[in-house]
Amino acid sequence: MALSRNEIKEKLSDVMKMVLSDAQPDLSAIDESSRLVEDLGLNSVGVLYIVIAIEEFFGIEFEDVGFDDFKVIGDVVDYIEEHI
Amino acid sequence: MADNKIFAKYTDAETFNKIVDYSSLTDMWESSVKSCGDSPAVIDEGKEYTYAELDAEIAAFRAVLTDHGIKAGDVVGLLAPNSVGFIKAYLAINTIGAAAVLLPAHLDAMTVFGCSMKFGLKGLVYDASLEEKTEIIKAKVPTLPLITTAETSYKTVPAVYPDENSLSTVIFTGGTTGNSKGARLSHRAVVRGTKNGCYGIKEIFNQRYFLVLPLTHVFGLIRNTLAAFYTGSSLFICRNNKNMFKDIATYRPTIMIFVPALAEMALNLSKQFGRNMLGEDMKTIICGAAPVSPYLVREYAKLGITLLPGYGLTESANLVSGNPEALAKPDSVGLIYEGMEYKVVDGELWLKGVNMMDGYFGDEENALAYEDGWFKTGDLVRFDEDGFLYITGRTKEIIVLSSGENVSPAELEVKFYEIDGVQDCLVYDITEGNAQQLVLEILPRATVLKARGVEDLDAYFKEEVEKINSTLPAFEKINKIVIRDSDFVRTPAMKIARNKNGTLKK
Repeated sequence: MALSRNEIKEKLSDVMKMVLSDAQPDLSAIDESSRLVEDLGLNSVGVLYIVIAIEEFFGIEFEDVGFDDFKVIGDVVDYIEEHI
Repeated sequence: MADNKIFAKYTDAETFNKIVDYSSLTDMWESSVKSCGDSPAVIDEGKEYTYAELDAEIAAFRAVLTDHGIKAGDVVGLLAPNSVGFIKAYLAINTIGAAAVLLPAHLDAMTVFGCSMKFGLKGLVYDASLEEKTEIIKAKVPTLPLITTAETSYKTVPAVYPDENSLSTVIFTGGTTGNSKGARLSHRAVVRGTKNGCYGIKEIFNQRYFLVLPLTHVFGLIRNTLAAFYTGSSLFICRNNKNMFKDIATYRPTIMIFVPALAEMALNLSKQFGRNMLGEDMKTIICGAAPVSPYLVREYAKLGITLLPGYGLTESANLVSGNPEALAKPDSVGLIYEGMEYKVVDGELWLKGVNMMDGYFGDEENALAYEDGWFKTGDLVRFDEDGFLYITGRTKEIIVLSSGENVSPAELEVKFYEIDGVQDCLVYDITEGNAQQLVLEILPRATVLKARGVEDLDAYFKEEVEKINSTLPAFEKINKIVIRDSDFVRTPAMKIARNKNGTLKK
């Protein structure tokens, strides 16, 4: 089932809530330009966590993409949009 | 000095008595091949290798090494991702009597070249996927043998039995750059470090292990991989960590070696999806390389999984202590293993003993690391009345991330000093909820900035830091910048007092 970009973002924000737990109380401050490492403070395991959680939540499978391919949240939304 | 008999009550007598000493990796490996020849040793990319099959490949690779002129006493670089090829090459290098310098796969070509000079490598074994990282060596030292892990031979060369004090492995510690230190581990240290990891666990022989940690890290190499071989267990190599839970569902491991961040992730996902992501066969998690929260011990107990916190260092060939009483004493890193001598000086743990390294490569580093022959761990500790060890803080200037990666603030700061207009700077970490963030505090040099016509300091430094960030591995990137309007608190020698600064620290 195709999801709109907004629906993807909404679902992704649930993933981010889980991964970041109480680290980023101000989730509203996260937008498509938020950078995964620099702004959200994700380390290697954090990025891995997001990828695994997205696969489970969205029922998609990431191809062999390097984590460096995702700089900002917008890149992740793009990827999901293309593969869902 | 501790005695491993204190661990006897955590398993049955038969199992306990099977945990014996070997004098070299050759003896250890051959013992497993002899007793478990037909059992699976490694599963990699869908292919299973029994102990006997892997042993045959190792014997052929010894012939490859010999053909390239490698001999006992040489030092050989090993540059490969987690793979059966890495393991085969590592054991071949060791059982020919040479030593392996483990080069992390993310090093760039210049650093790989720098290491080949610094360590006096007599050859470099590499995985073909990392070919580009050998380019500078090829250009500058065309005579250095470059050997891919895929090379094989129809000949075999028998194993040798290195003296227990001869060099086996060099592992990097304290950073990722060429400036980081190489810890020199002897066969004695590696084999004893492997053996110690087997104490305090009820079922330890013939298990199913799973590898997600890098083989270039002491925890991934010794506790995860060599301990699997020591115990005649099988090892599944997870090639892409994002598939770890799918791989776990298929392979059904019984024991897992985790850093705390991975243990926490697996726990959160299990709660989120209402099923144990580690599978029904999982019995034991060994957790270390960063502080382990008691919460993890308790929550995993609810899933029927025993999580054992441990404490170890690269310099001690992995484990110094392990905690078999995790539920009763979840804050503790446990009991110190036999063979370690220890004392506490001004609260800091000092070590020597059979599984300690024989120093770093480099006299200057050693001068700072040792006092009267004791290795100063930099960890502040206390012992309770039962002899259990607790880590209470650190004296050393190293930030340990929950992912187990170490960041040297001093090495990072050097990079930011290169920004025009930085008079002084300081890197430290803060924890917000579960996220650990790296903060860079800058004392600007007003005259330089004025001369450059910089008006918006925030924007200027953000852009400059960004340029440097883009050259750093993810875990070393700066997350927050603070621009100071007054000087740092300084020591009498006018150095920045690392423990008295840190505006954002709570």
